[in-house]
Amino acid sequence: MAEEPATTATTQAPKKEGGFPPFDTTTFPSQLFWLAITFAFLFTVLWRVAGPKINSAITNRRGAINGAIKDATAARAEADAAQAGYEASLAAARSRANALAEETRQSLNAEIARAKAEADAQAHQSMHDADARITATRDSAKAAVGAAAREAAVAIVERLTGDKVSAEDAAKAIGN
Amino acid sequence: MNLNPMEQFAIKPLVAEPLFAIAGHPIYFTNQALLMVIVTVASALFLTLTVKPNRLVPTRGQSMSEMSYEFVAGMIHSATGEDGLKFFPFVFTLFIFVLCSNFFGMVPGSFTVTSQIAVTLALACLVVGLVIVVGFMKHGIGFLKLFVPHAPWYLLILLIPIEVISFLTRPISLSVRLFANMLAGHTMLAVFAGFVIALGSAGGALSILSVAPMLLIVAIMLLEFLVAFLQAYVFAILTCIYLNEALHLHDHH
Repeated sequence: MAEEPATTATTQAPKKEGGFPPFDTTTFPSQLFWLAITFAFLFTVLWRVAGPKINSAITNRRGAINGAIKDATAARAEADAAQAGYEASLAAARSRANALAEETRQSLNAEIARAKAEADAQAHQSMHDADARITATRDSAKAAVGAAAREAAVAIVERLTGDKVSAEDAAKAIGN
Repeated sequence: MNLNPMEQFAIKPLVAEPLFAIAGHPIYFTNQALLMVIVTVASALFLTLTVKPNRLVPTRGQSMSEMSYEFVAGMIHSATGEDGLKFFPFVFTLFIFVLCSNFFGMVPGSFTVTSQIAVTLALACLVVGLVIVVGFMKHGIGFLKLFVPHAPWYLLILLIPIEVISFLTRPISLSVRLFANMLAGHTMLAVFAGFVIALGSAGGALSILSVAPMLLIVAIMLLEFLVAFLQAYVFAILTCIYLNEALHLHDHH
């Protein structure tokens, strides 16, 4: 079919029909030539360009993911620490508040007790005073009654008998 | 439409004149060459342009590129261990080349590069050649211990030839596996497509029957997508296993 090159007197042109095409050895030189060219081309590109490029893409991503995981772990540790610190300070504040409340309660109790004692003492005192006053009044009243009875006895005796009786006798007489 | 199912594997020059000749063999720019150029340029561009190294949230394209990268890296790591990773560019290229060739071949009307024994055999020889070079560079003449399994001496008389033969047939098994899988799948698709046309043009009730092979084509097509991936995976994982033997001989890493 094709014109033979001048140098290839013995090479026959590829057969057009018949036979089993893959076993047609006249096509082998062309096949091997183009296979060598294209395979070498693909090998060079994959070896020098595509392979390193894909490799760095995968490595970059793995690095980024590992970095992100590390960052996330660090952030979580930080958050945990912050949480622990918050809880510690919360607990401290709570115990301080409790202590303060207790202290206040105690001081209030003490004050109340003191005020109560004061009031009790005052009330006691005034009760005492009142008692004393009552006793004094009663005593003076009693004395006044005794005196009045004496005077009355003296007056009665004088009226009935005309005798003047001394106050002491009268007092003796009436048993007072 | 050509009903010969083998027609799709024919390599035709797209430019009638040979570009030049190497050692008397004319080199044509063929339909297969075009597909190989498309496959390698497309996959090289895809793997390069979809990826931005500092993009944290990958786009779909970047996800695919990274997924294929990590898939191959994981494959090498599990099959050969840490020191196999220096062969990553080679295994990655092999995997991408075979995978993309298989998938571009699935496009109707295109050409399946890996359905050619010359291509798969060349790749397999490349793999086995690399294994031999690496093995001798790492272990010197001790690499030949690869052919001596741990066994009593009287069994070795039998085992050494078997080991040698199995090693020598590796390029063939590796290449024929891929070649035959792709060839068989595409041939099957073409044969059933021929049935659809034959039944459809038969007229009457037979035309209605042509739906059956059509549905079958859909099913086989799905299977072929699986095979396209699987064969690329098998090719790459076997490469890793062979490299592992070259690196570690028989001892388990």
